[in-house]
This record gives sequence, C-alpha cells and structure tokens, in this order.
Amino acid sequence: MTTTSPHDAGPAAPWRAAGLRRAAGSRPAAVAAAALVVAGALASLFLGAADLAPADLLAARSLDDPAVELLLVSRGPRLLALLLAGSAMAVAGLLMMHLTRNRFVSPSTAGTVEWAQLGLLLATLVLGSTGVLERMLVAVVAALAGTALFLRLLRRLVLADTLLVPLVGLMLGAVVSGVTTGIAYRADLLPVLATWTAGDASGIIAGRFELLWLVVVALAVAWWQADRFTVAGLGEGTAVSLGVDHGAVVRVGLVVVAVVTAVVVVVVGAVPFVALVVPNLVTIVVGDDIRRALPVTAAAGAAFVLLCDVVGRVVVHPYEIPVGTVAGVIGGVVFLVVLLRLRGRGVSA
Amino acid sequence: MRPPATRHRPALLAVPTALLVALAGCGTPTADGAADAPGDVLVVEHAQGTTEVPRDPQRVVVHDLSVLDTLDALGVEVVGVPDFEAGDALPGYEDVETVGTLHEPDVEAVAALEPDLVVVAARSSTSFDALSEVAPTIDLTVDQADFLPSARERVETLGEIFGLEDEVAERLDAVDALAEETAALAADAGTGLVVMTSAAEVGAYGAGSRFGLVHDELGVAPADPDIPEASHGDVVSFEYLAETDPDHLFVLDRDAIIGEGGTAAAEVLDNPLVARTAAARAGDVHYLDSFAWYIAPSGLTSLETMVGEVHAALA
Amino acid sequence: MTTSTSPATTAHEAGTGPSDAERRAAARRWRVVVVLAALVLLAAAALLLLGVRGDWGFVLGLRGRRLGALVVAGVAVGVSTVLFQTVTANRIITPGIMGFDALYVLVQTVAVATLGTLVVVTADVRVRFALEVLVLLAFGLLLHALVLRSTASGDVLLLVLVGVVLGATFTSATLLVSRVIDPNEALTLQDLLFARVGTVDRQLLPLGAAVVAVVAAAALRRAPVLDVVALGREAAVGLGVAHRREVRRAFLLVAVLVAVSTALVGPLTFLGLLAANVARELLGTHAHRWSLPTASLVAVLALVGGQVVLERLLGWGTALTVVVDVVGGLYLLVLLVRQGRPHTRGALL
Repeated sequence: MTTTSPHDAGPAAPWRAAGLRRAAGSRPAAVAAAALVVAGALASLFLGAADLAPADLLAARSLDDPAVELLLVSRGPRLLALLLAGSAMAVAGLLMMHLTRNRFVSPSTAGTVEWAQLGLLLATLVLGSTGVLERMLVAVVAALAGTALFLRLLRRLVLADTLLVPLVGLMLGAVVSGVTTGIAYRADLLPVLATWTAGDASGIIAGRFELLWLVVVALAVAWWQADRFTVAGLGEGTAVSLGVDHGAVVRVGLVVVAVVTAVVVVVVGAVPFVALVVPNLVTIVVGDDIRRALPVTAAAGAAFVLLCDVVGRVVVHPYEIPVGTVAGVIGGVVFLVVLLRLRGRGVSA
Repeated sequence: MRPPATRHRPALLAVPTALLVALAGCGTPTADGAADAPGDVLVVEHAQGTTEVPRDPQRVVVHDLSVLDTLDALGVEVVGVPDFEAGDALPGYEDVETVGTLHEPDVEAVAALEPDLVVVAARSSTSFDALSEVAPTIDLTVDQADFLPSARERVETLGEIFGLEDEVAERLDAVDALAEETAALAADAGTGLVVMTSAAEVGAYGAGSRFGLVHDELGVAPADPDIPEASHGDVVSFEYLAETDPDHLFVLDRDAIIGEGGTAAAEVLDNPLVARTAAARAGDVHYLDSFAWYIAPSGLTSLETMVGEVHAALA
Repeated sequence: MTTSTSPATTAHEAGTGPSDAERRAAARRWRVVVVLAALVLLAAAALLLLGVRGDWGFVLGLRGRRLGALVVAGVAVGVSTVLFQTVTANRIITPGIMGFDALYVLVQTVAVATLGTLVVVTADVRVRFALEVLVLLAFGLLLHALVLRSTASGDVLLLVLVGVVLGATFTSATLLVSRVIDPNEALTLQDLLFARVGTVDRQLLPLGAAVVAVVAAAALRRAPVLDVVALGREAAVGLGVAHRREVRRAFLLVAVLVAVSTALVGPLTFLGLLAANVARELLGTHAHRWSLPTASLVAVLALVGGQVVLERLLGWGTALTVVVDVVGGLYLLVLLVRQGRPHTRGALL
C-alpha cells in the first residue's frame, strides 16, 4: 500500500526490476557536481563589489572586523540564498519531469512561474509591498492552482506526445503572463514587473532571504518521497500495480513544486531554465532513479545558479547583471544545444 | 462643428503662412482676441524642429508632467492633461479634461478640445507627428546630457510663449544662484552618490546620468567616478555602497513614485553595510523628492526643489 | 498525419456524389466568407463612426488610418500564420511562438540602447522598418535551416520548442540590454513596443499596406502549389513541386509580414493561431484559396472588433495586443485540449 516506507526500497524493490534506466556515470557526475558547487561557492564568497580575500578572514580577530561582517551580512547570505534557490528549482524541475513523464516540463514550461508572478502582482496591488509573508502566500496559492490546472489539462492530452505537453504549458504560461502584463500596463507597474521577472540576488543580505529556508522543508519532502516519485514517473498504471497511490504522490509533488517556485520567485525572482536544463542534463548522465538523481540535480542546480550569479557580478564589476538574466541567456543556449543534439537520437521522455 | 477651413493640416502647414495659424486662433470660440491678434505668432524652436505658435495661447493641451509643472507654477491654465497620478504633487487637475494616458495621447480628444497649442515632451514625444496635425505642437524634451541649461531653455520657451519672461527669468536666476551656492558648498562636502531603490534592488547613477545634476551642475564629487555615462542605473549590491563609501548618499524611492505602496527606501537601506558608510554615520543619507527628480525633473518647481534639496543636504 | 481535411468531411464527401457535395461545400464557404466580410464591415463602421466629436473630416481621417493599420496587420497575421503552418506542416505554430516577435522586441531595444530614443523616434520610419525586416529575414533563414533539418526527421514539435526557447532567450537578452537604458527611455521604448494604434505613422501605413498586398497576392497566386506543399515533403516532391524552394520562399514572406504587423500594431503571439484555426474550422477545408483570405478576415475582425470594444467599453488604458493575445491563447488551449484527446488525434497535429 501507500504506507511503504521509502527506506524499504532496496535494490530488490520491484520497480527497480521494472527496467529503470540507470547509467554508470552516477558517481563521477556526483563528484563533478559537488566540485562545481564548491568552485561556485568559493567564487561567490570571494568575488564581489567589495574586496574580500581569504587572508582577510584569517587575519580577523573579532566578529566586528569588516571582513567578517562582510561575510556574515552579505557574502554568506547571498551564497546560501543562491544555493537554496538553485538546488530547489532544479529539484522542482526534476519532480515535474517525473510527474508529467516528460523531460521538457518544468515550472518554467508549465506556467508555474507565471502564476506565481500573477499572484505576486495581485497581492502587491491589493496589499501593498509591505506584507512579504502574505504576498508570498498568495503567490504560493496562485502557483499551486495554476500548476494543478496544468496537470488537469494534461490528463486530457496524450501524454506520450513529448513536445505537445510543454507547448501547452508554455501557452498557458504565456496567457497568464499576458494577463499579468495587461494588469501591470494598466497600473503602470511594468518596470516593477520587470524587476521581478529577472531574478536578482543583488539585494540579498542577512535578514532578506530567510524565507528561502522553507524550500529546505520542500526538498526534505522530495527526498523522503523520492522512490514514490520514481514510481509515479513510470506511469499511473505501473504505479498503481506496484501499490503506490498515484494521485497522492502527484499531489505531494505538486505542493513541493508550487511552494518552491513561489518562494524563489518572491525572494530572488524567476531564474529561467534552471529547472529545465539542469534535470535534463543530470538524468542523461545519472538515469531516472530520483533518489540517485536528486542530490546530483540539487548540486548541479546550485552550481548553475551560483556560476550565473558570479558571471553577472564579474562582467560589469563592480556593478551587476541580475542572475536571472544571465541564466536566461546561458540556459537558453545550453538548452538549445541539448535539444538539437537530442534530435539526432530521437526524443524520449 | 468648426468649418474645416480653419483646421490645421500638415499639407497646409507646408504652405508657410502665419495667416493660417492666425485663422486657427480666431476660430477658437473662447479666444479673447486681445492676445492673439492676426500675425501675432512666435516661431518656437524645440526638440523636433520649429513650429509657429500663437502668442499667449488660450487653449493649451499639455502631455508632459514637467511642462505641466512649469505651467502650474506660472499660473497658466490648461484645457487638457493626460490621465495621471502624482500623489500630492500637481493637485487641482481632477476637473481638467483628460486626453489619453501618459502612454498614448488620445488624438481625437485633443482635437475635440480645439487647442491653440499642444506641448509634448519625453514620453509623449513619439506622438509629435500625430498631434501636429491637430494644432501647433512643440516638443520640449530636455537634453539629458546638458540638463540644467537645457531645462532652463525649455522653461524660458514657455515663459516667452505666455508672455511671462520676467517672472520666469527671476525664478530661474534664483535657481542658478542657488546652484552656484550649492556648488561652492559641494567643494568641501566630500563625495556623493545617487541611488534609486526599487523593491530590494538598488541602482547607482553617476555623472552624465539622469540624476547627474548632482555631480555635473551642483559640483558634488562623485563617490564612484567610474559609473559609465551610457549605462543608467547600474544594479549594485549593498557591498558596493559600503565599498564606495560616499559622504552623502542621495536616495530616490522608485516604489513610492509609482504608488506601489513601496518597501520604503529607508527600510531597504537599513542594514549594516550601508550603516558603515560615512554618509550613514554622519546622518547624510538624503531622501529626495520623487516627483521632482523622477516624474517631472525639468519642471520649474522641480528644478527649484531639486537644487534646493541638494543645497539643504550640503548646508 | 499532417494536414489532411478533417476525417468526417472527407469521408462524407467521398461517400456522396462528389460534384453535389462539393457544390454545397463551396456554397457554405462562400457564405462563411460573406458573413465574415459583413462582420468586418460592421466592426469597421463602428470603429469609424461611434462617438465622433468635433470635426468629422479630421476624425474620420484619423480613424481611417487606425482602421487601415488594423486591417493591414490583420491580413499580415492571417497570411503569415497560414503560410507558416503549411510549410511546417503543423497547425499549432505561429511565427509569434517561434520567437519572431521576441526578436523584434530585442531589435527595438538594442536600437534604443545604442542610438537613444530620440534618434529611434525621429529617424525615418522607413529606414527603421527596412532594418527590422532585414534582421527578421535573417532569422527566418536560420529557422528555415532548422526546419529543413527537423522536418527531415519528422520532428516538427521539436522545432517549435526550439523556437520557443529562442524566444525566451531573446526576451532575456532584451532584459539584459534594457539594463543599460535610462528608465525614461525604457518607458518610451515600452510605449513603442506596445501597439500605438491611436496614432499610426503616416509613412509606415502605405508602405506596410503595399508590402502586405504584394506578399498576400503572391501567396494567393501560389495557393495551388501551397496545397501540394501542405501534403508533406514526400508527397509534394512526388507531385513535382520544388518543396525546398517553396518552403524557403514561405519563410521569407513570413518574415516580411511579421515585420509589418509588429511595426504597425506591436507583437501578437496568438492571434494568427486563432485566425488560422477558426478559418479552417469554419471552412472545413485547408485549400489555401479559401484559408488565406478567410484567416485574414478573422484576424482583421478580431483586431478591429477588439479595438472597438477597447475604445468604447474599456477606455484607453489597455493594450489591444495584450487583450487579443490572451483571448487567442485561451482559445488555443481549448483547441489543444479538445483535439488532443486520443480519438480525435491527428485532426490538429
């Protein structure tokens, strides 16, 4: 039944035998992703508008030392925020991919991000920008409702049609974003909308990112339920025959995805392509087992976002290019290359 | 309905006649006749060429808030304005006919008002051609690269059109005098930096930018001389503010401007990195008037406000 | 699977006497065209005559140009979408979805960023237009290269996804570039990008009208050939049509048409989709002789009718293109969901 503890899921678990793709490159991929995160983290810590060298920290004698303060107030929080946002968005993408059994579905191709933005805009218009928590709540609800709507639409589509599904998601997203743009245009809020649309980490300091810790809870749920997500990814029929309540798993996954997306959109802004490109690349290397792919995906997502942010900080130093914009350009190009290379091999979910 | 003969059309405009313009003036039902006697026209130079306008026009449509600010200050009444929200600034225009939005003038509505003069600038300058077909239209967009002199020239143009040269000259001279005084103060005031906050994002503005007045004309030494002139409002981190360490921090709250309810700029800037700057330690973080600096920067009262604020900050 | 007539009609026509059924079908098509034309005239009359204040001659001139712009843009959208769908053998595609519009926005933004608004605004509109056409033509050729590769492998939806990602990347690049634009200029740019139907450029309108007339006439003249192209590459080549050349020609025509319509009324992502599919549904045929004019009529009706509603009911505060796009996108979603069900598959794709 559905009460099967995921930890019972040893190698002998039936769905393991059901023919899951599992590539051999899992360990090197994990090591590579971890190395990238460390590199990104170091770069993120020691590159920025102000000068901070490791030696400054070692030389510091007290917590009031400017170098230490810089680390605690600015660099550290920013690093944490990017780590959390990047890994959570990538994992949300991984879950979406499995829940829809489609490698091109992610929060950014299912309209989730656009719904969150619409919720944020409406909340801002009604509540003003002071109640961050309330605004985020509205964004979460909107993201949740929108993603659920998308999944309902999917039930009516032929799921095997790999590219039709994200296309529907993108259109839904475009319609929602059209509504958002229309409202913003009327209220002359388009410039503000633009600042949300481009994820931007420049304003993140201690005290301005802590909401992001919520995604840790979401990630923990994802990890805890990983095996069931894997099974759900085999299709409703298979899942049910293996004793997994498919509907319940989908609902849990939905909440995780919506919460992660809304929190990240509210705190950092939208970072395009992380949730799409990273899980795709990772599963190509690691295979479709979520428990195996999840840590690597999280690490790779964090590394991607960290590196995009570092690029944005370095290119026009000491000024910045928002991380979302950098990710949009880099991610778009990477995704196109992946897409066109996949073409040769035939696309499969 | 007015007889079509008095209608102002570009085809007719091509035939250069002061007579036609005068006819347009006479055709105006409310014209008191004294000010716009036939032939009493003025050739006005503006951002998109020259236009012949009647002296002291009675029915004026304004499509720019800077211009409206100036006319408001001079006590000139207008018959049409765009649909705008400016908070407490420019009160008393609720009952004036609205002619479109700030995005897009409603040309028909403008035409229905049968204006003697239409003024566009900045955002509405794209509608210059369309409005020129309705009535004599001038584009008073200010040259950002040469802000104060250019803004002065625009205000003087308005003064000339409405026969208020003396009052305008007096007030502009006062602004210039205060600017000189401010520049003198600035010489010993250390460095300054202008930032604009939007949500949690901070953008820095340098010399030559839209807020370059502070450095270019009022002489405050830029805390960061490297902000490229071409790029306006570079996104910066709080670290940057700490590192640049200005003696005076001038802050604009964009959210307050657009009536978003706004995370107040003060809240955004309330953090240890900003607190570390010389400006914060000395209490020299100055919050600037959003309307004057951002919405209507080249209006007459805006100019007075802007120079006055910097003067007060340095005094 | 590409563009066969809807199964029901074909079966019906084959079953009964062909000449009789054909006559009835043709009569119905004529009715559709006549009714649509009458509705367009009605909408046009409403746009021209409702609520006129002041000098009639002047107001009619102004509104006439506005009507002209909407008509020209509508025809451009209708023709370009039908063409594009024919050569990509796909009916859920529009040039807008493929990133054409996003590229147009990017070009405008780059122009404003490098030249400044005043230069862009006061520059000769014909020069500006020519430059935009050139860039879009280049993009059309690039897409053409991609489509050739992907239709060869039968993977058209992949091409759509590539287009969508390209569009998203252009949008990110636009955000990147708009970073260096002065906020005041950004506002002017925003006004440039959203349709300024209220004030249509005097020089652009006749130019656009001439271009669209020539292109539409060329397309209509090639209608029989296009019907063959729509059968797919193999069939077309078998029937002696230079498929490759026809496809390339269509891509170039599409690029020009998109440039005209975006220059006149701003980016329209979904209108073409709405027009092309409504036209086919009403006509019950895919013959280009019918679908090209009918799709154009539907697009014109949507634009003119939408503008009337906007002006008379909603006031000026909303952009026409936003409204039309939201409605078009919604319709498309309904269409996808309805036709995506297993038993009707193939009707749309």
